[in-house]
Amino acid sequence: MRRPDHPIVNRTITWGFVGLSLLATSFASFGQEPASASDYVSRAEYDKLKAEHEALKQEMDELKTAVRQMANGTVPAIPAEGPSTAKATSPEGKQLVTTTTAPAASDAVPIETSGPLATHSFSIVGDAEFQFGKISHQHGAFMFADFAPIFLFRGGDRILFEAGFDFTIQNNAPGSSGYATTLNLSFATIDYIINDYVTFTGGNMLLPLGTYSERSAGWLNKFPDAPLPRSVLPGNGIGVQLRGGIPLGEKGASLTYSGFVINGPGSMDGSGDAGQLDLGGNVGLTSDGKLTNNLHGGAGEGGRVAIFWPWKPQYDLEVGVSGMSSRYDNAGRQQYNAGVVDASLHLGPSVEVKGEYMNTWVGTDNAGTIRPRGWWVQGGYKLAGLKLGLPYLDKLELVGRYDTVNDALGTWTKRGTVGAVYYVTNTLWLEGDYEFTSNRGPNPAPDDSLLFQISYGF
Amino acid sequence: MTTPHFFAVATIGAAVATIASPATAQTTAPASKTKVETTAATQEKIELSGAELWTLNCNRCHMIRSPGEFTAAQWEAIMMHMRVRANIPAAQAREILKFLQAGAGK
Repeated sequence: MRRPDHPIVNRTITWGFVGLSLLATSFASFGQEPASASDYVSRAEYDKLKAEHEALKQEMDELKTAVRQMANGTVPAIPAEGPSTAKATSPEGKQLVTTTTAPAASDAVPIETSGPLATHSFSIVGDAEFQFGKISHQHGAFMFADFAPIFLFRGGDRILFEAGFDFTIQNNAPGSSGYATTLNLSFATIDYIINDYVTFTGGNMLLPLGTYSERSAGWLNKFPDAPLPRSVLPGNGIGVQLRGGIPLGEKGASLTYSGFVINGPGSMDGSGDAGQLDLGGNVGLTSDGKLTNNLHGGAGEGGRVAIFWPWKPQYDLEVGVSGMSSRYDNAGRQQYNAGVVDASLHLGPSVEVKGEYMNTWVGTDNAGTIRPRGWWVQGGYKLAGLKLGLPYLDKLELVGRYDTVNDALGTWTKRGTVGAVYYVTNTLWLEGDYEFTSNRGPNPAPDDSLLFQISYGF
Repeated sequence: MTTPHFFAVATIGAAVATIASPATAQTTAPASKTKVETTAATQEKIELSGAELWTLNCNRCHMIRSPGEFTAAQWEAIMMHMRVRANIPAAQAREILKFLQAGAGK
C-alpha cells in the first residue's frame, strides 16, 4: 500500500497524535489533587506515629484484660496512685514517644461495690474477761479469766456453722512450775433453718436447760462468776436439736421451744454410785481409743418451752420450763433427770430481774435417788433511771444476786453477792462485786471474795 | 425398744419429716424465686418496726449493739446466730436484720 505523501495530510496526522496525547494526559490526571510538599512525611514522623499507635494498642489490651478479670470476679490490678505511663521504643532501643494518662477518676477501672451481698460470710464475735480476785485468807491476784471467741460461718440463707471456744490459763502450782493454757470447745454446731418455725441444730450444743448456758454466760453475765446451782446441770451435750420461735400476735410476743437428743451424761468410774455422775463426759473417743463415745448406749432427751411476753417497749416477761432425762452409768441402769423453771423480767430500761430454779433426781447404786438442787435470782438497777443527769452515775448499774446449791452429797452452799457494773461503752464493762459465802459440808465453795472484772464483748 | 431409744428415734424421725416439708429461709434473696414465694406464704404480720423489735429482743440478754458496729454481711451471720440462739421468730428476725443492715457500717 502506498503511503500518503500529501504534506497537509501528514501535518494533520501529526497534530492529531499530539492532540490525542494531550487529551489522554489530561484524562489520566483527572481527579488527582495537586501535589505539594506537605503531603510527604519524614521517617521520623512515621516512626512517631507508629509508636503512638503501638502505645494505644497496648493500652487497649490492658483495658481488655482488666474487663475480663472483672467478668471473672477478680479485681484487676490498678496502679495505687500517680499517672500510668506507656512508652514505645524504636527497634534500636531509642525512645520515640511517651503517652501519659492522667490519674483522673474517669480513667480508673471502676470496682463495682453495689449489688447483692455475698451468700457466704465469716465473722468472729465473742468476749474476753480479765479479773482481779481477793479471796478471804488468800493473796489477791490478777487473773486472765477467759477469752471466748465465737466463729460464725454463714453458708447461704439456711446454713450457719458456729463454734465457741474458751481460752483460759491455769497455774501449775503446787507440784509444777509455770502455767498451762486450756482450750475448751464450748460449742460447735451446724444450724440448718428448715422453715420459719423450725431450725435443726447438730453438734456440740449448749443445752436449753434454763437460759444461763445459752444466753447469760460470759460477757452477758453481770457477775464475774456463774450461779452456783448451775453445777447440777450439764452445760452442753453432743447430739441433735430442733428449735424455733412462733409469734403470738403482732406485738413481739412469742412461744419458743427446743427439743434435743444427746448422748447424755456419763459416769466417772462407770458405776452408778453416788458422786460418780459426770455431766460433762460421755463424748468423743475413750482414752483407749474405742469408738464407744456413748458409754451407756442410751440417749438423753430434753427440751425447753417458754413464752416471751412484752406488753410495752422494754417491759417484758419471759417464763420457761425445761428438763431432760438420761441414763448415765455404763450399765444403763441409773437415771439422771432434771427439771428447771426460769424467768426474766424487765420493767423499763433500768430494772431487770431474772433467776432459775433447778431440781435433779439422780438414781444411784448405793444411796437410792438423791436430789442435787438449787436456785438463783439476780436483779439490777441502772441509775440512769433516776434521771440525775450525772454522766458517770448514769453509766452505773447496781446489781445483787442470791444463789444456793445442795449437792445432795452433804454440802450446802449459800451465797449473796452485791456489786456494780460501770458501762464504759455498750460492750466494755467494769464489774466489782463482793461475795458472802456460807458453806456446810465436805465440799465447800471458796470463802468470801472480792472480785473486779473487765468484760469486753466483741 | 427402751424408752430413751424410742424418744431418740421419734425425735430424729420428726426432724427428717420436717426437713422434707416446704421450707422458708431467713432472708429473701431476690435471685431465688422459690424462696420469695414460700416466704410470702408464711409471712407473719408484725405491728412493730425493725427498730422496735431490735430493742425488744436484743435488750433481753445484752446491751443493744449499734447497727454501725458491723457490716451488712456480718449482720447476716450475726442475726442468723441470734435467731437460732434466742429462738427469735423468723419474721421478727427479718425485720431486725433489715433495720441493722440499713445502718450498717461499710
